[in-house]
Amino acid sequence: MEKVLFAVLTLVYLELSMRVVSAPICSYGQAGCHVPSLADLFERVIQQSSRMHSVSSDLHSDFEQYFFPRKNLIGKRKCHTYDILTPEDKENAQRLGREQLTEVIVRLLQAWGEPLSELYQSMSQDQNQDFNLYSSNKALEISDILHELKDGVTIITEKMKLLGVLSNTVGYNSPESLVPSSAFYTQGDLDSMDHHDLLYCFRRDSNKAKNYLRILKCTTLPEPDC
Amino acid sequence: MRRDLRGALLLLLTAAVQSSSMSAPGKPVLLSCRSPEKETFTCWWEPGSDGGLPTTHHLYYERERLEGTYECPDYLSAGRNSCFFDKNHTSIWVDYYLTVMASNALGNATSDPFKMDVMEIVKPDAPGNVTLRVEEREASPCLHVRWMPPSNTDTKSGWVTIKYELRVKKDNSNNWKEYTSGTQTHFSLYSVSPGGVYTVQVRCLLDHGSWSEWSNTTFVKISNYLQNERPLSMLISILSAILFIMAGLILIAKRKSVKQWVLPPVPGPKIRGINSQLLQSGGSDDVGNVLIIKQSFPPIYFVWEDQMEDYLIVTENEDWLSSNSQKRKKSLIPACFHFDSEIHSKESPCHQNDWEKDEEISQVDNNNKPFTNTGYVDFQRNVENVDVKHVDYSRVKEVKSDNIIFLEKEKVQSSGYIHFQRQEGIPEDYSRVKEVESDHLVVLQKQNAADLSCKDEGNHYTDCALHKPRKPHVCTELSDSGYVDTIPAPPLM
Repeated sequence: MEKVLFAVLTLVYLELSMRVVSAPICSYGQAGCHVPSLADLFERVIQQSSRMHSVSSDLHSDFEQYFFPRKNLIGKRKCHTYDILTPEDKENAQRLGREQLTEVIVRLLQAWGEPLSELYQSMSQDQNQDFNLYSSNKALEISDILHELKDGVTIITEKMKLLGVLSNTVGYNSPESLVPSSAFYTQGDLDSMDHHDLLYCFRRDSNKAKNYLRILKCTTLPEPDC
Repeated sequence: MRRDLRGALLLLLTAAVQSSSMSAPGKPVLLSCRSPEKETFTCWWEPGSDGGLPTTHHLYYERERLEGTYECPDYLSAGRNSCFFDKNHTSIWVDYYLTVMASNALGNATSDPFKMDVMEIVKPDAPGNVTLRVEEREASPCLHVRWMPPSNTDTKSGWVTIKYELRVKKDNSNNWKEYTSGTQTHFSLYSVSPGGVYTVQVRCLLDHGSWSEWSNTTFVKISNYLQNERPLSMLISILSAILFIMAGLILIAKRKSVKQWVLPPVPGPKIRGINSQLLQSGGSDDVGNVLIIKQSFPPIYFVWEDQMEDYLIVTENEDWLSSNSQKRKKSLIPACFHFDSEIHSKESPCHQNDWEKDEEISQVDNNNKPFTNTGYVDFQRNVENVDVKHVDYSRVKEVKSDNIIFLEKEKVQSSGYIHFQRQEGIPEDYSRVKEVESDHLVVLQKQNAADLSCKDEGNHYTDCALHKPRKPHVCTELSDSGYVDTIPAPPLM
């Protein structure tokens, strides 16, 4: 009997001590939680953006194979984020500076919140095909990751401002003013072509976000090997 | 006329023959484009038939976010039928629309447009400088592989992240074993065995692009000499095994002393007031006898070995004694007990035999008065029932001087003891009872405890009284010397 009691007490003690050790992670330094470093935050955010890009890339290629087996479809499309000016090579991105780079990232992410949820809803409604079930799940996943990524980038900018690495001029402009209402919002239901275009555009923008985040990290954190 | 006709026909024929191998060029085909580091890219095409005439190819492109049509900036750097776009002409995340035009004297041919985004065509060069190093350890060797990232990739600024993969095969088999290395440029293989030739190749990946080609093969042979060390280690292990067995045998042979050393005997518990030996030697009757206080006896005899209670010794006033001298004899009560808090079962003089012997004396009158040192005076009343359980007490009414005590007459309980508590501060002395006047008056002799000695007069004497303030051994004697010893408190039941 005593052995059972002893075992129970040990387990309780271990559980309590483990609770003490693994304090919840918080970003604003509230009492009782463990604040992650900027490096950890960047690491997490880059992982998320990488995952987001890879899922959207897979979905796009599956889409192409399923619906448009003909390769190399030429169609001059215009993404709804066309008007967000983004650096298009390494030198330009590095020349941009932290504040502007951060703003670009934030704008890109904010521009995709609504379209992705629309994409998911549209895909999930079209249930008559097996592909749509698979694709709508992926669309949901992308949408969720984007949401988390937005939060993560917000936290990082706050922390960078706190550390003095980023000037306080970096603001959060409302996405409506930046992103013009693109054509497909007004067209009503989205069809497969629209799905495909959206995926194509999102694949590109997620790659941009990932690259910009990495450059931001390497210019902010003084690591020899980034 | 005919000659002219024939000549014209011939000319026409030759012209016809000649012109059948000459034509406009065939349509070229754009094969692929590739960017090794996401900063420049190269595109290759395949020309169609040249139509027998020297044809030239030109690559034209249009670009998203850029007005106009442009021609390839560099046809030479990447070899024949290729176009190299340097950093100034490369933009990522924009669509390029490429076309190749083949032209010769007779015409042009344009390829199908080829759309590409640099983001999609990233394929790095193979990693270079793959080196192998064998580390020889006792148990098994291990293979350390090191390589360098491809020279044109820029990992320092974070523009691209490289992931590596390597594959290993042993000897000439076709089974490659693949391992992922992440972003490290080194890897250690532990599943190698001596006596084989290992071939290693490495490849890399940028972001979500394509894998590079496998690097050049590097191989290494792991020698067999390690097997010679086995007999030595076997010898050592055998020797140590023998030593252990011998140590075990010795331990078994001497297990008793080992057991004594490891687990020393624990002293058993002793119940206060019970002589365990007595309990063991006799049956329950003995215990009962021991506990029962016979009526002719002062119930203080016995097995109470570690009684700590002391009793008062009552009066010793000579005056009182004189009038009652004839009673002196009767006032004596033999008692025997141990004050000692330690359990000395061997020294216990208080046994049943003593008890029995003392029976005869009991011509005591009603008042047997056992006394102790500190605070209690026990009187045994003449009670019919020998039942120890009923203890009688008489309360002290008054302590006249330090040697006269008046007791209350009424009985507190129905048995035969009178207890009273001495005042504090009174030094522990032995006093001999000179006389018990009545059943409420006891006269003590003024005497020092140091004078106490155990006399041997009656053979009821059991032990010497050692005058220790705290632990007196007191013995009793049946004598008429008027001396009363300290007596343990009777069981208060």
